[in-house]
Amino acid sequence: MIGRDGAGSRSTGSAARATLFGLVGIVGTSAFGWALALEPISPRPVTGRQTLQRPGVATPPAFREDAWHLPDEPLLGFVEIPAGAFLMGSDPSVDPMAFETEQWAPGQTRGTLEVPTFYIGRYEVTVAQFEAFVEDTGFAVDPRTLTGAADYPVAFVSWPDALAYARWLESRLRDWPDTPAELSRRLAQGWRVSLPSEAEWEKAARGTDGRIFPWGNAPGRDRANYARAGRASVGSLRCVECAHGLSDMSGNVWEWTRSPYQPYPYDETDDRENLEEDALWVMRGGGYNDTEQNARAAVRGAADPGVRREFIGFRLALTSF
Amino acid sequence: MASPRTPRSRAERRQQQRQDAEDSARSPDSTTKGFLLPLSMTGLLVALSFLPRVQENPVLIRSFWGAAAVLLIWQVVLFTRLKRTSATRALVPLLRPQHYLQAAVQLSVFVYWGWFWRPVYDFAWLLVAQIVFAYAFDMLLAWSRRESYVLGFGPFPIIFSTNLFLWFRDDWFYLQFVMIAVGFLGKEFIRWNREGTKKHIFNPSAFSLGLFSVVLILTQASDLTWGQDIASTLTLAPRIYLFLFMLGLVVMYFFSITLVAGTAAAVLFGLSALYSAAQGVPYFVDSEIPAAVFLGLHLLVTDPSTSPRSPLGKTIFGAGYGLGVFGLYAVLGAIGAPTFYDKLLAVPLLNLSVRGIDRGVHAIRETPLLRRRRMDVAPRRLNLAHIAVWIVLFVVATATGRTDGRHTGDSLPFWEQACEEGRRNACRQLVQLKLTYCGDNSAWACNELGLHYMDGEVVPADTELALGYFSRACELRFQAGCLNLLQPESAVTSVPKELDLRLLLREGGVNLMGMSETELYTRACEHDWSFACSRVASST
Repeated sequence: MIGRDGAGSRSTGSAARATLFGLVGIVGTSAFGWALALEPISPRPVTGRQTLQRPGVATPPAFREDAWHLPDEPLLGFVEIPAGAFLMGSDPSVDPMAFETEQWAPGQTRGTLEVPTFYIGRYEVTVAQFEAFVEDTGFAVDPRTLTGAADYPVAFVSWPDALAYARWLESRLRDWPDTPAELSRRLAQGWRVSLPSEAEWEKAARGTDGRIFPWGNAPGRDRANYARAGRASVGSLRCVECAHGLSDMSGNVWEWTRSPYQPYPYDETDDRENLEEDALWVMRGGGYNDTEQNARAAVRGAADPGVRREFIGFRLALTSF
Repeated sequence: MASPRTPRSRAERRQQQRQDAEDSARSPDSTTKGFLLPLSMTGLLVALSFLPRVQENPVLIRSFWGAAAVLLIWQVVLFTRLKRTSATRALVPLLRPQHYLQAAVQLSVFVYWGWFWRPVYDFAWLLVAQIVFAYAFDMLLAWSRRESYVLGFGPFPIIFSTNLFLWFRDDWFYLQFVMIAVGFLGKEFIRWNREGTKKHIFNPSAFSLGLFSVVLILTQASDLTWGQDIASTLTLAPRIYLFLFMLGLVVMYFFSITLVAGTAAAVLFGLSALYSAAQGVPYFVDSEIPAAVFLGLHLLVTDPSTSPRSPLGKTIFGAGYGLGVFGLYAVLGAIGAPTFYDKLLAVPLLNLSVRGIDRGVHAIRETPLLRRRRMDVAPRRLNLAHIAVWIVLFVVATATGRTDGRHTGDSLPFWEQACEEGRRNACRQLVQLKLTYCGDNSAWACNELGLHYMDGEVVPADTELALGYFSRACELRFQAGCLNLLQPESAVTSVPKELDLRLLLREGGVNLMGMSETELYTRACEHDWSFACSRVASST
């Protein structure tokens, strides 16, 4: 296991050393104008567990203690996203908040991308789930990683931390006799538990109709935890309109993907170019402290793989890459 | 007519001085006064524990207080016992040049080395604490067994010599006090008859260093100490070999240890050259004699009281040290133990062989042939001749690039090539070098290590270890490392980045952080990095 040898050990120092490259999309003059247009956010103190008491509040999801705190659902929280094409990127004439980095190619605002079937987690990985991994393996984590309520999305995880969790869960699901048959079959076919690619993530978030937010084209703070002071329990906001019934695809925490940051047009086959440049990995969905501009399904963030921040977490995918 | 003066040797005069001092100091009053010294040392140790450097670590504070408590209890018990029996104890001041000169030379090494590696200066107060502890401990030990304690600079070279090679990290610092105590106990209790008098067998610092080295190797606990860092950071000081050589001349001149140090160095230079000629790769990776070994052969193995006195005996002793270090380096490497212990383990073994060497030398000298040919040269003149030979040897070694400066083994591509060609130990050294560089945060080296552990060609395959190294490379923003972490079977490689080169091209110590990019790539090209040569060519 990665954390047991010296090379895999983590420290708060490394997080401090690492530089958050920031949100690629925020760069640009349009960001300033949009920021001015947004309503001011008054930070509120977070004391212990924060559950959003709003009209859109959902029945809290249940988790299985006997299954590493995975969701108590037939597929342990994995949701199938059928194969097919979807529109990737942003058209500023439809979405005035779009950043330049979301433009598909010169002269073409969006691209159509075929994505094979995959599964994605309904919820972001929680503190309890990550803690089960840490307890099982002795993986060395940042002391802040396991802070927060058990059903909060785990944060202060680096990109390698997220992959280590995914690798561990895959091995557990392969060995576990109670793994749902559908998941077992996929794993036997060589599928992997990993992070979603950038395209998988965007398709899961916005569906095939090219919507701006996971629930539609208008902002909705009652459906996602953004423009607020802290993390909230996963699935605590009801969003019946959200594509594929996924929770927190907007806000709560930014989510690591398995795609290195590359300019569009998106092409998974060029991921190994520019090896001499510093690594920068795409994260999606915006965080609790972001404005609605960063809560859009097409927004592209990117960060140094070693950073650990309170607004960065991840969700899993089961995929055949 | 004046009465004829009885000629007396220096030793006899010293004995007489000591006797006079003991006589004048032996009274109940002076015993009480004498005890004020260890008491004040104990108080000083407690006072030192309030320094910010000590206060920053609770274990360090407890180590100081624990050491002080032991000393305090000991002196209370001893004082009470002496009072009850009306026994007296004396302090006999006596300054011996071998103590204060050695200490001055050792201190110079700390000052110069610390200038380029700051943890040494950061350690200064802990060094002071050890000296304070050593004085009190040595005093109480002496008074527990006899009437007088010779007060001089004796503890200084023992403490300095120990700390030039090994010190424990703050979280384990109490073991440093234990190590010091073991050195003094060894000096006091492990003795034999030599040349008609009872003498300690082992060099006190080398004894405790040797003993602790064995324990640390057996328990695989070397990371509790700064041993590896100490051994590898001496070369951060520019021209360290020249510096040590110059200091060594002082010691050689005053204490006639030239034959020990010179022979040890000659044997090591010779064996290194032979190995290199036979195998095509350097024996000690990036030097002919590691700087820490060069330090050891000047300041660790050369204690006059635990080494032979005759020129031939000294020569055999020095050669034994050279052979011992050379052999131990191979043995330690083969068993997977840190090789920096090589210079420490050889000394106690040699100390044990001194009487045998003396007997052998005596037997050789008494053969009829040699007895006839014996030359009557004054020892001081003979020593000067030996120094002259040593100077010539060092100059030749330096002129042929065997001391300071660039070394074949500094080039990683050289080791890559040697490993591919299957040269002896080349793959092991290559992995060791990459381990060191990865430890220094070279992302390229971490990724390379991950690849080695993934493919299992030069080290046993270990996927978990490989993932750990990929993970570290990735967190250091090395894209190939991230891709390998994502898909370990993909085995993505990439050339070192600029920061990697600043670490990989240090040649043992030079700080390249401020070097311009052009100079850096030129240097990389000189180190046989072909991608760097292409870059230099394309930019000109």
